[in-house]
Amino acid sequence: MSTRYRAAPRGRSTGRAIGVWLIALLVALVATVQIRSQAEVERSLVGIDTTSLAFLIDDLHRANDSLQSEAADLQARETTLRSGTSGAADQVLTDEATRLRAIEGLVPVHGPGVVIVIDANGLTALDLQDAINNLASGGAEATAVNDHRVVTGVAIDQTGSGVAIDGVVVAPPWTISTIGDANRIREVADLMTNALKADRRVRQATYRVESDVVIQSVVSARPFVYAVGS
Amino acid sequence: MVAVAAVALAVGFLVAGQVKAQLLTPSNQVARYQALVRSVQELEATNAESRRQIASLRAQIDGLESDAAGRSAATQALQNQVADLRAHAGLTAMHGPGVEVDLASGIPGPAAGAQASYLVNYQDVQDIVNLLFAQGAEGVAVNGRRLTPLTAYSGSEGQVVIDQGPPQSSPIKVFAVGDRNRMVAALNDASALPDIRARQVQFQLHLTFFGSPDVALPAYDSSLQIPHVNSI
Repeated sequence: MSTRYRAAPRGRSTGRAIGVWLIALLVALVATVQIRSQAEVERSLVGIDTTSLAFLIDDLHRANDSLQSEAADLQARETTLRSGTSGAADQVLTDEATRLRAIEGLVPVHGPGVVIVIDANGLTALDLQDAINNLASGGAEATAVNDHRVVTGVAIDQTGSGVAIDGVVVAPPWTISTIGDANRIREVADLMTNALKADRRVRQATYRVESDVVIQSVVSARPFVYAVGS
Repeated sequence: MVAVAAVALAVGFLVAGQVKAQLLTPSNQVARYQALVRSVQELEATNAESRRQIASLRAQIDGLESDAAGRSAATQALQNQVADLRAHAGLTAMHGPGVEVDLASGIPGPAAGAQASYLVNYQDVQDIVNLLFAQGAEGVAVNGRRLTPLTAYSGSEGQVVIDQGPPQSSPIKVFAVGDRNRMVAALNDASALPDIRARQVQFQLHLTFFGSPDVALPAYDSSLQIPHVNSI
């Protein structure tokens, strides 16, 4: 009797406890989901402002145009190869080799562009790296500094004697020759030289647009030692 | 018990409501932001589709070139030359010993003038990649995006845009194939990457790296055009 008397309340108590715990769990779940989802939105708002988003949209438009142009070019190449005409593959491969040699800085090149001259005392390798990246981002397709060809992968180091490109010190003034969309590069060069003129280390920063910039310097081909094709 | 549960429920909603109210920004700002975000998302989707298309076309062209090379020794020699050039341009996947560098944003500091300094930016990525190339890296990829001889970095607060790719943000993973001992030694050099190291101290920016016996890099999947450049 006493067993039954104690057993019944224990069952009701256990049921109620489970109910309370389930409700508490639900409350915690709802609160957590609510807080986290709102915090997620807020975090993305903090991460990037509307002005930056607008710039991002502009960049993406330009990037997508460039990608579509590349896709069209590849489709034309594919069509030529599928035509099966005599020498079609040789012509496609020869054109590709010529283009890639120019991209990798293995051959002299020329074309429209902008030449920037910076005379300064105390500018570092980081300053030159930033300048070259800004120009590349602004449309430069080939670049040389004081007749030293620069592509991604060419080392620009700070040494005791100054800034070195591929192990060779390049003393100021720096003449940065670029080939590419002159209108776009000119905008970057204008901003860059104005910013440099405000730098105490800089004695002179000028640029000129040229219809035909010639870059004679080349990068030495380096065979892979560690890398293996997948 | 029911009363306790009801009180707990009410407290939970009050807490959630309070936190939500504190986080909520003006609705017009949110709407404008959401419209811009939608534009970015649509453009990113187009971007991804174009890159898939480019990768597919390159694979098809490679196959057609191989077919032609199988019929002619001269074409085969040309294809070998192009294959080597493509490998150096980042147009083919590669693997080998190398390093992985992990970079993540830190914690905002109290100084108003340094609001974005705790965030990883494109110049951090540029500095790390330049350091790795200076130490003989033969190929580099950032968050799965292979770098090429024409690679350029841009972006604003916390956003890293590489070439025509979509914006990346923290955490950033840089993979490089090459002499891993040399690259690790350079990354360990206290005088290297001065800006990142200073922000490690000030904002707890996260930088770790380790050598690996085998690092895999994908092929570049974007545009590699130089319409204004002519070979001499």
